[in-house]
Amino acid sequence: MATVTLDRLGKRYAGGGAPAVQDVTFEVAHGEFFVLLGPSGCGKSTTLRMIAGLEAITEGTLAIDGKRMNEVPARDRDIAMVFQSYALYPHMSVYDNMAFGLRRRAMPKAEIDRRVRVAAAILGLEPFLGRRPHALSGGQRQRVAVGRAIVRDPKVFLFDEPLSNLDAALRASTRQELIRLHRRLGATMIYVTHDQVEAMTMGDRICIMDHGRVAQIGAPLDVYRRPATTFVAGFLGSPPMNLLPATVADGRVRLGEATLTLPARVPEGPVTLGVRPEDLVPVPEGPLRGEVVAVEPLGAETILSLRLPGVERELMLRAGRSAPAGLGERIALVAPHDAIHLFDAATGCRLT
Amino acid sequence: MTSPRERPAWGAIVPFLLPATVFYLGLTAYPVIRTVWNSVHEVLPRREAYVGGAHYVELWADDTFWRAVRNTVTWALVAPFLEVSIALLLALALYARVPAARILRIAWFTPVLMSYVVVGIVWMWIYNYDWGAANAILRAVGLGHWAQPWLGTTDTALPALIVVTTWMWTGFNMVVLLAALHALPTEVIEAAELDRCGWGAKLTRVMVPLILPTILNLLVLSFVGKMKIFDLVWITTKGGPLWSTETVSTYVYKRAFEWSTFDLGYPSAIATVWFVIVMSFVAVLTWMVRRQQKLEY
Amino acid sequence: MWGRVLARAAVMLVIVLWTMFAAGPFLWVATISLRTTSEFMAAPYALPETWRFDKFATAWTGSGYDTYFTNSILVVFSAVAIVTAVGAMAAHALARYRFPGNRLVYLLIFSTIVLPPQITVIALFQTLAKLGLYDTRVGLTLVYAAVQLPLTVYILESFFARIPADLFDAARIDGYSEWATFWKVAFPVAMPAIATVVILNTILLWNEFLYAVVLIADDARRTLPLGIQKFMGDQLEDYGMIATGLMIAIVPVVLIYAIFSEKLIQGMTAGAVK
Repeated sequence: MATVTLDRLGKRYAGGGAPAVQDVTFEVAHGEFFVLLGPSGCGKSTTLRMIAGLEAITEGTLAIDGKRMNEVPARDRDIAMVFQSYALYPHMSVYDNMAFGLRRRAMPKAEIDRRVRVAAAILGLEPFLGRRPHALSGGQRQRVAVGRAIVRDPKVFLFDEPLSNLDAALRASTRQELIRLHRRLGATMIYVTHDQVEAMTMGDRICIMDHGRVAQIGAPLDVYRRPATTFVAGFLGSPPMNLLPATVADGRVRLGEATLTLPARVPEGPVTLGVRPEDLVPVPEGPLRGEVVAVEPLGAETILSLRLPGVERELMLRAGRSAPAGLGERIALVAPHDAIHLFDAATGCRLT
Repeated sequence: MTSPRERPAWGAIVPFLLPATVFYLGLTAYPVIRTVWNSVHEVLPRREAYVGGAHYVELWADDTFWRAVRNTVTWALVAPFLEVSIALLLALALYARVPAARILRIAWFTPVLMSYVVVGIVWMWIYNYDWGAANAILRAVGLGHWAQPWLGTTDTALPALIVVTTWMWTGFNMVVLLAALHALPTEVIEAAELDRCGWGAKLTRVMVPLILPTILNLLVLSFVGKMKIFDLVWITTKGGPLWSTETVSTYVYKRAFEWSTFDLGYPSAIATVWFVIVMSFVAVLTWMVRRQQKLEY
Repeated sequence: MWGRVLARAAVMLVIVLWTMFAAGPFLWVATISLRTTSEFMAAPYALPETWRFDKFATAWTGSGYDTYFTNSILVVFSAVAIVTAVGAMAAHALARYRFPGNRLVYLLIFSTIVLPPQITVIALFQTLAKLGLYDTRVGLTLVYAAVQLPLTVYILESFFARIPADLFDAARIDGYSEWATFWKVAFPVAMPAIATVVILNTILLWNEFLYAVVLIADDARRTLPLGIQKFMGDQLEDYGMIATGLMIAIVPVVLIYAIFSEKLIQGMTAGAVK
């Protein structure tokens, strides 16, 4: 167990261009499950690889347990990593794959054997220890990759999108397994993903990254409820938060032809108004009135798309099992004050 | 998300590249440079003297050299077309789902695995005037008056050797072409069938154009191989009779190690000229093949 | 209907004729190798009446083929071992690391594959003579390793380049140095390609003649191709024994080919199919 501290960490590749990562600062606590979330190319994997020691740090500092790690080679950082491709050694048995990292550390044979068997028991890999990776299913390979990290008993576990090569059903069950594993080991884990469901369900805290920078850090539900930027607001949630151009004037928000009361005091001028599809409630005299242009029944819920007069983008509404209005019908909605988010139209930063 | 490969870690790279570099510099690059240096010197066992372009001037007037060039170029131009066209025919035959195609493919490939020494001796016997297979077959079919010492006659020696390289290399070309044919997307051929193309049209309009890059590659490869040919000639005819099978390689060897002139400078000049010619041909041909491929895809 | 049958027949005819043409010479030599010269002269195309396998023993001990064969084995196996290790290391470095000049080195190696051997053979003779390696098996071995190096690097580089980078990252995190990672991960993973170049180089060097004839003089150091050439020069008319010698050179190749035909075909054609 350990703390991991990043202080204005940055990565700039030789040959110029925008930095891949800049100004990333956070501290992962002992035993915390910390998720780096973002779209591909946002710098989350590069950040993880800098923590691992696979990528040189060009700016800022990285510390594990308070010790500066920038110049320490990967093998001396006492970290273990699970790769997206699993990176199992194809010419070695499952047993040897797990033992490979221990042999380098001049550990007694008996201890290696004990550790491999314990990890295999935790992951249910005992029947497969003699097999080569190509004779395993995708899920089994994934578990070997995790096992290879467990046997090392490292200070920090790093996961680089470990579930993205699994099919949907397996992904859900493996997610649960990893959560249980984290509870059991109580280890510090840093987990990179582009999947918001993984981030929301697994993370103690999540860090959303965008264009190489941190957009927001916080507990999953806090981030979901109070997104700091339009990027975060639009990235989390499915369907994502509605983000519509609006104007603040005379203590009110004008959204097309509709007018809403202000949830809080904000300076006058153009803003981006955000409201989550599930926070919109149909009421007969609601201030937001529009025409239903699409209905998507999903069984457990129904997603409606509305066109509001004077607003270019469509408004998404999440309703219950039955649609409150049919295609082409008009509907009136209201959103509670605390469900209305206002963002600066230019910077995308939260105003309220 | 793949990140670019790590910046150079010279401490790791150098040990990996060092042995190969030593081999390359010592036993390939240095000899090339040394040969070029030789070519402007008179190189005798105990004496080396700068002679400038004298060897090259002499070369210009050396009839034997030009004879060797003519023979080699003839070989390098004729053989590729023989090999590749027969190979294409054979590849198509195997492509047409004949029984035992897998075994035939392996069997036909065999000649190319044999040493030129072995092949040369066997074919000297096949061309033997009295009991060689070539004449035996002619006599058997009543064409006995055509029988002759194939390698001993100036008119027939070079063609006879071209037959040998064709025998050797056709199977190789066939295997490559067959692989290219099998790699063709079946939809393309099926589409041609739907368009009511006959076999002939399917072949010339669809299949051959699609494997044209492979065909060109093979032609280049065969061409380059023939430009270097030495062993076969050395074993069978040593360039004879009367220079009729002399190749540039055999002439270099003769001038360097057989004739008692002892000078290594003159053969080095031949080798240098030939090196420049072969490499420019390769450069031009590769460029042409590349351009062709760009047109294809 | 008849057209189809006729086309089929034509295809079969082509196949049968070519098979006879391709295989005939070998079968003929095989029969001669089991017959005496006088038997052969009496009927050049007859099958052996008695299978004289003892001729192989005679050639082996009486005509120096034991020496030639041993020399070939020594030189070829050492050269292949050297070129495999040296070539694999270089190929790995070119495939794995990005460094200035990487592609230049690759291009240089690639263009060396088509280098006409005449351009090096004279200077190699001079160089080896100066180093005291002329007419030694060590000298020939080193030259052989150098000659096959470009092709080896070329074939292996394309294979090494396909090994996922994650594998190396995993080994790094597992605590292995670049050097150890190469031998414990990259090399074993590349085994299929390594096997291909080993087999290919073995055959090509087993058959090599030009460098051998220039760099070896003494009978005791001749490789098989040189030995056969010498034997033929000495015993021009003893066709029976020459054929036995040829078979001694052919049989190992055929054996290797019989076991590894697909690998060998792959290796031989690697350059042609890019």
